[in-house]
Amino acid sequence: MKTAATKRMRRQKRNAVFGNIYAVLIYSIFYIPVAIMIAFSFNDAPRNYAWQGFTTKWYGELFSFSNHALWESLAYSVAIALISTLISVTIGVLGGIGLKKFEFRCKKFINMMLYVPIVVPEIVLAVAMLIIFMTIGIHLGMWTIIIGHCTFCIPYAVVTIKGRISGDNETLQEASMDLGANRTQTFWRVTVPSIMPGIMSAAFLSFTLSIDDVVMSNMLAGASKSTLPVLILSVNRTGVTPDINALTTLMVALMVLGMLVLNLIQAWQKKKVQRQIAEAERRISSAK
Amino acid sequence: MKKAFAMILALVLTLGLVACGNNGGGTEGSKELNIFMWGDYISGDMVSNFEKENGVKINLSYMNDNADSITKLTAGAGDEYDLIMTCDAYMESLIKGGYLEKLDPEKIPNAIANMNEAYWTGENRDYCVPYLMNYIYVVYDTERCPIEITCYNDLIKPEMKGQIGSIDGARNLFPIALIALGYDPNSTNEKEIAEAYDWLVKYNENVVAYGSTETNMLNGSISCMLTYDGNTANAMAELGDKNTLVIAPFTKDPVQLGFDLFVIPKGAKHMDMAYKFLNYMTDAEVMAGNLVEYPYSCPNDAAVAAASEEYRSGPAFDFDYKTNIFFQKDVGDTIAVYDKYYQMLKVG
Repeated sequence: MKTAATKRMRRQKRNAVFGNIYAVLIYSIFYIPVAIMIAFSFNDAPRNYAWQGFTTKWYGELFSFSNHALWESLAYSVAIALISTLISVTIGVLGGIGLKKFEFRCKKFINMMLYVPIVVPEIVLAVAMLIIFMTIGIHLGMWTIIIGHCTFCIPYAVVTIKGRISGDNETLQEASMDLGANRTQTFWRVTVPSIMPGIMSAAFLSFTLSIDDVVMSNMLAGASKSTLPVLILSVNRTGVTPDINALTTLMVALMVLGMLVLNLIQAWQKKKVQRQIAEAERRISSAK
Repeated sequence: MKKAFAMILALVLTLGLVACGNNGGGTEGSKELNIFMWGDYISGDMVSNFEKENGVKINLSYMNDNADSITKLTAGAGDEYDLIMTCDAYMESLIKGGYLEKLDPEKIPNAIANMNEAYWTGENRDYCVPYLMNYIYVVYDTERCPIEITCYNDLIKPEMKGQIGSIDGARNLFPIALIALGYDPNSTNEKEIAEAYDWLVKYNENVVAYGSTETNMLNGSISCMLTYDGNTANAMAELGDKNTLVIAPFTKDPVQLGFDLFVIPKGAKHMDMAYKFLNYMTDAEVMAGNLVEYPYSCPNDAAVAAASEEYRSGPAFDFDYKTNIFFQKDVGDTIAVYDKYYQMLKVG
């Protein structure tokens, strides 16, 4: 008996060690490149060939006037990503609810066709759109890029949001209408909050897909501006300069901060809900 | 619900119209200039000074590949731009396709006065103004490279196994093989191209990596590289006093010289500003200022004369066969043959 127990413990210990090594390996593949990228933003050399010494001058350079091209393209990328996200999520919510709730002819077909923009290589879509825009005489610019980004963001948004809608929602909606809310009130006060986590993840997914897209942004770009990824790739012809490392470091820092804030908000909301439930329960018991 | 949706739709459409209106506006007395070029390839001062002088906003957008300019022009988006950067190899087909505006020499007196005639000849002269140029030559490390390199054939010697880093691209690799074999670097003869392929197979065996040549040289992965002069300048500047890199002293074989040049696409909307910019860009002092930040080879003689001593004595441009050069020419339909053999080379 005793030996069996120690054996099991030893096995568990060994598994734990392997598990840790495995996790460390996987995470290092994720984060070593980012760490190196961040380290080189402090490199005291005009090109990133080798480590020369510590400096923060690239951050100064980044905020100097001569670098407005970098900021302009970042602002352009963010604007495109925000608008694409807004459009994709709006359509995603409508599409997700519609495809889940209602029965109609060709529903299966429409559901299936949703995956086409996800599977078709982006370059094919991009070239097709470029040809269409040129044929009907639409000027290339911000809106053509946004339309391009929406074509691959919307399917992801619909799929994500659709997955979030469960049977419970139906019951809640019925209850809400039973209690006298009209359709609009039910939609905004019951349906939307209940699928909010789905909406948030769809929004984050769309934003990420849009902001780091190169293929569409390159093909459908108009004459006036380029997005940040397109600019970085173009600069890569002669080697990426450390001010770009500095900018991307700031972006990573902002993202980590954003995630922390999001987590805090979620924790706070959860507490709030728990408090409300406790309050309601107390009221019910006191009424009795 | 329906109303809300209709309102969102209306909002999006109006925003769209506003955006389109902004893009299309300002044809007369141009207030903007749209340039399509490589990123990190023009000094910020050069751009902002022109903007101040002429009360104009320069919009720069960036390409990822020389072929991008061809894609934009042939898809019919050329008239969105006022100046497009392309390279000499594409000029012939762009001119033939009627995509370019013929330049009026009276509007670019600086270019006429300052440009080295040798670099601005033939039919190209009527359609483009060269910006900067780059040599593609061989550089090696005197301390680590096993042999001295004086011609392309030295690169396929067995001693060079695992020593070479190289730039990539069918039209960069095949010409050196063709020259090594004694043929025209822009050959359209399939038999010669097939022989060049055999030569490149041997070259391939000695190559460690394609691309990032100067990085590989500096971290010691290679001791010899086929690369651009601009990249060499960066590598040599990085090494400073400890520089042991030399430009291979070629005696007979010519090296490739490529140009980044500006063209005005047919139907450009701000033609007046495009001309003004071309003339401004070819001014000796302006270009000399640009060379401080981007020390590449420059076809503008007056600008080179006005440039700093540091630029003119740069070790990456100090070699004595600068005029023993060849250009990449349009090879017409033979490009398919090159592509076929190039793919064979890449797949192995």
